[in-house]
Amino acid sequence: MNIIRAILLLIFFVTPVKANTIYNLIKIPNLEIYEINTKNKLKYFYAVRPFRLGTQKNIVCSNANKKDLEEKYKIIYKNLNRYSYDYLKKINLKYIVLCENLSISELYTAGIPDNIMKTLILDIQFNEDYFERVIHHEVFHIIYLQYKEIFNDEEWIKFNNPKFKYAECSTCTKNIGLEKYKETKGFFTEYSKSTASEDMAEVYSHMIFLKKEEINQIRKSDPILNNKILYIENKIKQIDNTFTF
Amino acid sequence: MIKKIKASASEKFIFIFLIILSVATFSTYFVVKNKCLFVKNFNPKDITFKKPNNIAILNAPCGNVIIELYPNVSPNAVQRFVTLIKSNAYENIAFHRVIENKLIQAGDLEFGKKGNLDYGKIGTGKSGLGTIKSEIDNSFNYNKGSVGLARTFKNDTEDSQFFIILQDEPLFEGEYTPVGKVLYGLEVLKKIKYQRNSEYILRPDFINSFKMLN
Repeated sequence: MNIIRAILLLIFFVTPVKANTIYNLIKIPNLEIYEINTKNKLKYFYAVRPFRLGTQKNIVCSNANKKDLEEKYKIIYKNLNRYSYDYLKKINLKYIVLCENLSISELYTAGIPDNIMKTLILDIQFNEDYFERVIHHEVFHIIYLQYKEIFNDEEWIKFNNPKFKYAECSTCTKNIGLEKYKETKGFFTEYSKSTASEDMAEVYSHMIFLKKEEINQIRKSDPILNNKILYIENKIKQIDNTFTF
Repeated sequence: MIKKIKASASEKFIFIFLIILSVATFSTYFVVKNKCLFVKNFNPKDITFKKPNNIAILNAPCGNVIIELYPNVSPNAVQRFVTLIKSNAYENIAFHRVIENKLIQAGDLEFGKKGNLDYGKIGTGKSGLGTIKSEIDNSFNYNKGSVGLARTFKNDTEDSQFFIILQDEPLFEGEYTPVGKVLYGLEVLKKIKYQRNSEYILRPDFINSFKMLN
């Protein structure tokens, strides 16, 4: 046992410090630069090896396949490029980490936002059908975390039918469909019904993703969603009054 | 009667070889020990500067590091830096964090002072002047020799600690407040004591002096 300890100590003392700037900045290992010269100054990194994060190492993501990366980067770049540098600065988003099969506590997820580290981890293999919209959904989570004092769940819940109740948490329900309802009835998708913040993120992402006419149509036909859209619009204006959906 | 024995040619050769070896070892020991032997020390008086009022001279164990400050890029940060330089606050302060060929960091006025080093807290000390706001909006090319103010994980926490990079770091732009660039003396910085197994240095080198040219 002592010999093993001695060997481990020896390894520790002779292992040189390999300073990694990306790790020092965002505390995620095994990343390399994908693109850093972007108009809105977003910096894109990709996983060259799988990584684990969190105090319990429950966040896991694999290295990205080069071909997928090339293909998905274009989509992600196009979508995130609509955000200005000033807007991104206000919402505290600067780094995008691209990897595959992102999971948290063994549950697959499209993205993990971290406003403190100014980072959004995106799973480039996430559901093809909703991939683009989900990018904005995850951006909203950054905004929500950064401006907790602005977005009030209690206020939001009042927009719904009094009999309606959200699930206890976003993963506490099996209803996680992302397809847009034909008849919205206060919710854009099944996943909207999970929690207030997920509902807000779904509204935000649809406001970004759908055409203006489509949103206007929904506002006319669904008074609950109209209130929700108005709420998000006003709150985003509070953060950056130059932003347009 | 004691018989005189003559040394053979090979014995003489070994003897001479041993003498040469010991002389070489002895002199190499002194040459190697002097880490500053081949480092050029720049004298600011021999150099003409375009903006002499923005020139600061940091004297480290192997010589002078001549830095041009950029008040146009980060006015508040440079003002803080100059205030501390003019008050001699950086004298005898440790280069407490050094990564070989990558970065050196100094300026912990509270826990990094020679004779009063606190290894448990070094890197967390304050100047007593309070923190200042990050100035990261102006574009700045963080190439080799750039000088920036260190901060905690949060913005607007810059105080007295600064770093100088020994390699290009494009990701630092927009992240850390720049204050200037090294014009002369990068080799001096490369000779500052580092450890291969730790960023934080046991028995570190110290800043001898840090002064403005004018």
